[in-house]
Amino acid sequence: MAVSRSSHLDSLLPALSEAYGPPGRETGIRAALKRALKGAGLVREDALGNLHLHIAGKGPRLLLTAHMDAPGLIVTRVDPSGLARVSILGQTSAVDWVGATVTLDGTARGVVGWDRPKDPKETREIEPEALYLETGLRQRQAPKRIEVGTVGALLDRAERLGELWHGGNLDNRAGCAAILAAVRGTRGIRSDLHVVFSAQSDLGARGAATSAFGIDPDVAVVLDVAFVGESRGPGDIALGKGPCLGLKEEGYLPHPAALALVKRAAKAARVPHQWLIRESGGSDARAVRASRSGVPTALVAIPARRPGGPRVLIHASDLEETVKLLRGIVTTPYTGEKGSR
Amino acid sequence: MNGNGAPRFQEGILEAISNAPGVSGGEEAVRAILTEVARERVDSLEVDPMGSLVARIEPATRPRGAGKPRGARRAGRGPHVMLCAHMDEVGLMVTAVEKEGRLRFRRVGGIDPRILPGQAFRIGPRAVPGVIGALPPHLVPRADRDKVTLAEDLYLDIGAGSREEAEEQVSVGEYAVFDTTYEGWGTTRKGKAFDDRAGCAVLASLIQRRPPVPVTAVWSVQEEVGLRGAAAAARRVGPDLAIVLEGTASGEAPGSPPEEQYPFMGRGPALTIQDRSLMAHARLLDSIQTTAKRHRVPTQWKRPGVGGTDAGRIAISGAGVPSAVVSVVCRYIHAPAAYLDVRDAQRAVTLIWHTLETLRKEWP
Repeated sequence: MAVSRSSHLDSLLPALSEAYGPPGRETGIRAALKRALKGAGLVREDALGNLHLHIAGKGPRLLLTAHMDAPGLIVTRVDPSGLARVSILGQTSAVDWVGATVTLDGTARGVVGWDRPKDPKETREIEPEALYLETGLRQRQAPKRIEVGTVGALLDRAERLGELWHGGNLDNRAGCAAILAAVRGTRGIRSDLHVVFSAQSDLGARGAATSAFGIDPDVAVVLDVAFVGESRGPGDIALGKGPCLGLKEEGYLPHPAALALVKRAAKAARVPHQWLIRESGGSDARAVRASRSGVPTALVAIPARRPGGPRVLIHASDLEETVKLLRGIVTTPYTGEKGSR
Repeated sequence: MNGNGAPRFQEGILEAISNAPGVSGGEEAVRAILTEVARERVDSLEVDPMGSLVARIEPATRPRGAGKPRGARRAGRGPHVMLCAHMDEVGLMVTAVEKEGRLRFRRVGGIDPRILPGQAFRIGPRAVPGVIGALPPHLVPRADRDKVTLAEDLYLDIGAGSREEAEEQVSVGEYAVFDTTYEGWGTTRKGKAFDDRAGCAVLASLIQRRPPVPVTAVWSVQEEVGLRGAAAAARRVGPDLAIVLEGTASGEAPGSPPEEQYPFMGRGPALTIQDRSLMAHARLLDSIQTTAKRHRVPTQWKRPGVGGTDAGRIAISGAGVPSAVVSVVCRYIHAPAAYLDVRDAQRAVTLIWHTLETLRKEWP
């Protein structure tokens, strides 16, 4: 039922988007996902902080994974003025943090500012060293309350904006929500399904590497978001045209059989799709693909746009089509491919 | 210094291995010393295919049922902990011998080329003395006096007058290390390669006694050129968790704001929260901190976001290993002579020892 499915996402996405989960400190998002996974199967957490769901079944071992971490800020010192200086944890630029509201381990909040150039005509790029956190704590109190190493995360709840979702951390909480919606209550799963919400992706796919090693899957599908402007494919990707199928990333090419599985599922479920070709950067797909002696891997990405600042936009229909596609993937038998990997 | 129940830091080991050469890929001399130090104390000792020295040491008391099948964690023994320190240091490698007898070189690991001109080195297994040529001020043209020679223009001079003469002493591919001899005064110790011979000596001191949990000590190779030895060792060892012992950079720098100048030499081991390679495992870090408080070992934070250690590679080996880093804070690492405070080395031994006790009781 399409109605219940979208209403499902309507409550899931805002809750997941505001959960605390900077790389290596994914406590809030892990707890939120655990709650959402009650009764869905066997749930466990591993040494790196990845959250695993196992829905035991017959058939090939399928790994379906989305990273749950979102970029963070780590306090490097507190100035005598009471401002906390930070460095960025993950792959975002300083400009995307300016003006953001940040939660610090749940102990305090802060607003991100930057040292403006004295000359207002100067238009230089914002360097990470120029960022600071204004916590509103008293000057003397700040150094005591905020320790070096405290990790901040964007505090922002996604909301609907016409046909779009608008909010912080949607990279990749949108992917997490899509997986939850796709696997909860789905019948006819044709694989031994391992779902991993991976940790520390933004620090270099660390959680994906170890979870793929531990699971040793027959086939894997990585779900992430991709930004408009990133693809060098047959035209750029766009919002509202369905999920993207990854054809290339830095150090990653899909496995033909895994890609065929995704394409078959898309066709059967009548999900429109677009192609993603990234010349630089990438997702967890590379680490999963290169795990052990190689894992047939495909990449699915929800198109997103970054208008500037901490929030991102995704199209509600893309999210729903992605859920349909994922449901198709877990219910389509993986036949592998004759020949080499 | 009193280690309140922990083993004593063995300064003699630090002195010996600090003086020994061991540039990344050429760690034999350091490994030989550590092998001698460890041999009588451990249950097994091997050199792995990369060249890392790997020693296994069982806990003091062997509870009944110690012969249980491998793999299953045996109750009461605590987790299998990998303690790791890298043997290699930054240095130079001779890449060419020129007609005039000068040696061209490349840097191995991160050395700031600005510190090189005029430095004395020892080259190759025969420790041939050499200096990096630098003109005396009399001969430097006025216009060049504020300039630093580019790294690629530098050369090593062993006093040879021709290629033939030079090749009798050294050959291409040999390593050069800073010509620095260990010495000390007060609690200050001076020497080369404290990154990471300090960690190596802390580790060697720890295994002088049977630890509270099963420990695999790894003295790794090729850390300075990409954390290579530890990555391979971690896969072989397959520990439940890992603590990496480092000699890390002090943040004391004249001119920068005081709140930026941490960590400090002499104020206890530095704990890593995050660096370029690692997000320290939160619960393991918490165990270390709790232990430090309980045993009154002063600790400080290493500056987040900079550097990288073997722990980064160990953490993501296999299906993942909870990992943390404990460092002795040194001034002037990756340079001819570093300083450390020998009390910090003892504190690191004390902290790790008691952390192992904590882990036996509280992990997982």
